[in-house]
Amino acid sequence: MAMNTDRRRINAPSGGTSAPVFARTVKEQGYLQSLRPARTRAPNDLRKIFLQTSIIPSASGSAYYEIPSDISPSPKSLIPPTSSLKIVASIQGPKPLPRSAPFSPTLLLTTTVKFAPFATRIRRGYIRDSIERDLGVHVEAALRGVIIGERWPKSGVEVVLTILEADEDGFWGDGGKGEGSGWGLLNVLAGCITVASAAIADAGIDCVDLVSGGVAAIVPNPESKNGEETEVLKVLDPSPAEHEDIIAACAVGYLAGRDEITEIWMKGNVGVSPDDLVEGATYAALGNLAVLKEVLLESIQARFASQQPQSGAGDGANAKDGPQQDVEMSG
Amino acid sequence: MAAATTAAKRPAPSNSDPQSQTTATPAPLSFPRPIFAALSPHPFLRAHLTSTAPVADRKSGAKGASKRQGIRANGRTPSESRTPQVHTGSLTHCNGSTVVRLGNTVAVCGVRAEILKAEADVEVTEKVDEDEDGGDDDDAEEELRALGLLVPNFEISTGSTPLLLPGNAPSAFAQTLTARVRNLLLATKVVRMRDLRILYTPSIDEEGVGGTRRKVVKGYWTLYIDTLFVSLDGCAFDAAWLAILAALRDTRLPRAYFDEEFEDILCDDDPAQARRLRLRGLPVPSSFAVFEAGETGDEDDDEEGADKMWILSDPDAFEEQVCREAVCVVVDLDRRTGGRGMVVRKIEKSGGGVVGRREMRGLVEMAWERWKVWREVLGA
Repeated sequence: MAMNTDRRRINAPSGGTSAPVFARTVKEQGYLQSLRPARTRAPNDLRKIFLQTSIIPSASGSAYYEIPSDISPSPKSLIPPTSSLKIVASIQGPKPLPRSAPFSPTLLLTTTVKFAPFATRIRRGYIRDSIERDLGVHVEAALRGVIIGERWPKSGVEVVLTILEADEDGFWGDGGKGEGSGWGLLNVLAGCITVASAAIADAGIDCVDLVSGGVAAIVPNPESKNGEETEVLKVLDPSPAEHEDIIAACAVGYLAGRDEITEIWMKGNVGVSPDDLVEGATYAALGNLAVLKEVLLESIQARFASQQPQSGAGDGANAKDGPQQDVEMSG
Repeated sequence: MAAATTAAKRPAPSNSDPQSQTTATPAPLSFPRPIFAALSPHPFLRAHLTSTAPVADRKSGAKGASKRQGIRANGRTPSESRTPQVHTGSLTHCNGSTVVRLGNTVAVCGVRAEILKAEADVEVTEKVDEDEDGGDDDDAEEELRALGLLVPNFEISTGSTPLLLPGNAPSAFAQTLTARVRNLLLATKVVRMRDLRILYTPSIDEEGVGGTRRKVVKGYWTLYIDTLFVSLDGCAFDAAWLAILAALRDTRLPRAYFDEEFEDILCDDDPAQARRLRLRGLPVPSSFAVFEAGETGDEDDDEEGADKMWILSDPDAFEEQVCREAVCVVVDLDRRTGGRGMVVRKIEKSGGGVVGRREMRGLVEMAWERWKVWREVLGA
């Protein structure tokens, strides 16, 4: 807990606080390892995702993305299990730039990524840190290649991504080893790209294609018993907590229709064939795209269905401005 | 909620009056609804509140009542509040969490407990340890405040409203909200100091004078109460408080004890040993906004009904922009009379002088009705 005193917020007690330490994890041998989750999916299976658009009526576009955790909180322990990914995206704009801003012939994209204080196992602060800024730049790069910016000169659009819950960097029981390695960030980035893409489509901003995110990783093959070092396995959509060790991982922002990659983030020791890993990530992105398309189609159909009865309104384009839209939000 | 988009598409007829005064234009200017609302919000809301015609078929239930009252732009009657919805236990890394919906206002609240170690062992007298409902615990409140064990914070700039964009320091609005919530948390003494103490009874009581074992405070639970607005459509304070109250009710603290072997505070991860926070009372705030018909200083002030005013309960973001006077009443069940009456815990009023004693009495009554709704939603 950084002890920067923030005068605009309420700060923690001056002594600093520590997260609770559970007795069984320090006293009982082997208890920690018994909590370790394991991957039950096939290497090419993706986790299910939940996506919904138009959750914020006052925003021009918005979406909610969740990878529901398949491990239900165990009734036997209070220690939080592996977290799932939950992201809210909100689009404000496009709106005219302030008069003081220099002329811009294209749409100015601003992407903000913020973790909620309760997003991770270690409580986060409110002031944006370098990880969040870095993620913001990556998401922005992924989106900039998709939006047709020339259609909005002198305007800006704000993409705000709030991460309510993030994937973890590794199994928490491994101590400091998993922390800060950033494996979880790749999943967060892929999720951010997908949800931002959904929100942009919901806002009706012209794009060349739908971008979606995907992750692939190379992990040591758990099947290989004889300790051959070449025995590695490529898995799609890895959940870092389920793997004891990750050799390399890659997240992409992928345009399936044009077979283009707008963003790529690779980490670790990739070895001789990085293309293989990138290809795996694009497959994962394709899987997410299928969900994305279906959700967008559904939301458009729902919008038109709600328009039909009020034919006399005459302003069909302003569907978003209807003051109320019923929204279900889980999570 | 679902009925809001239908009907009332055209501005109500009363709106055409200003134009016919100035020029002799026969056809009054007609805008689509959202544009009218954006261009002249005040007449827009007034037109809605004064119009009575389209109301009857809208709400089949309360025909007579709504006819007299007029209807707001969001389809509610002036005294109608949005029904709150609460969903608990949705965040992994929190001791207690909620997602709260109040119409289009959605707030997520997570309560996270961390341990503050006591600087020196503080001895506890039996009296303090056993303070119950009625006991005078002014010291406890002082202690809570001095140690800063409740840390409520807000994040509003999440794209939840177009008015507050991220990347800036917390706005005055966010800071005010934080201060108000913290004051209410401390003033209503919702959280018991007793729940937050981590006690330790030394096994070897070398000082065991008088036969009783001494108890020592080894540490305190600190509650980080972080609330994040996903979508903001007015009534931020009510939604925030509802979220916090529901999250606190949902909070489970693991059993914490001082371990002599480790010389540190350890926790038990057995859920059966954990205990919930026992909150003191259920203070419920109700916000109101006062809409004055003749506020803008238009030429039509001399019209009849220019001095009319409406008190709108649970205002949405649009109404909050138009109205200047705001009232917030916090009520709770009066425990001392055996749970029959009500007590007013707090009244905040700012921005105008319309609400006097008589109106305030009515507002308190409405707040009491709201309390009953909340109690049902929270399952208290």
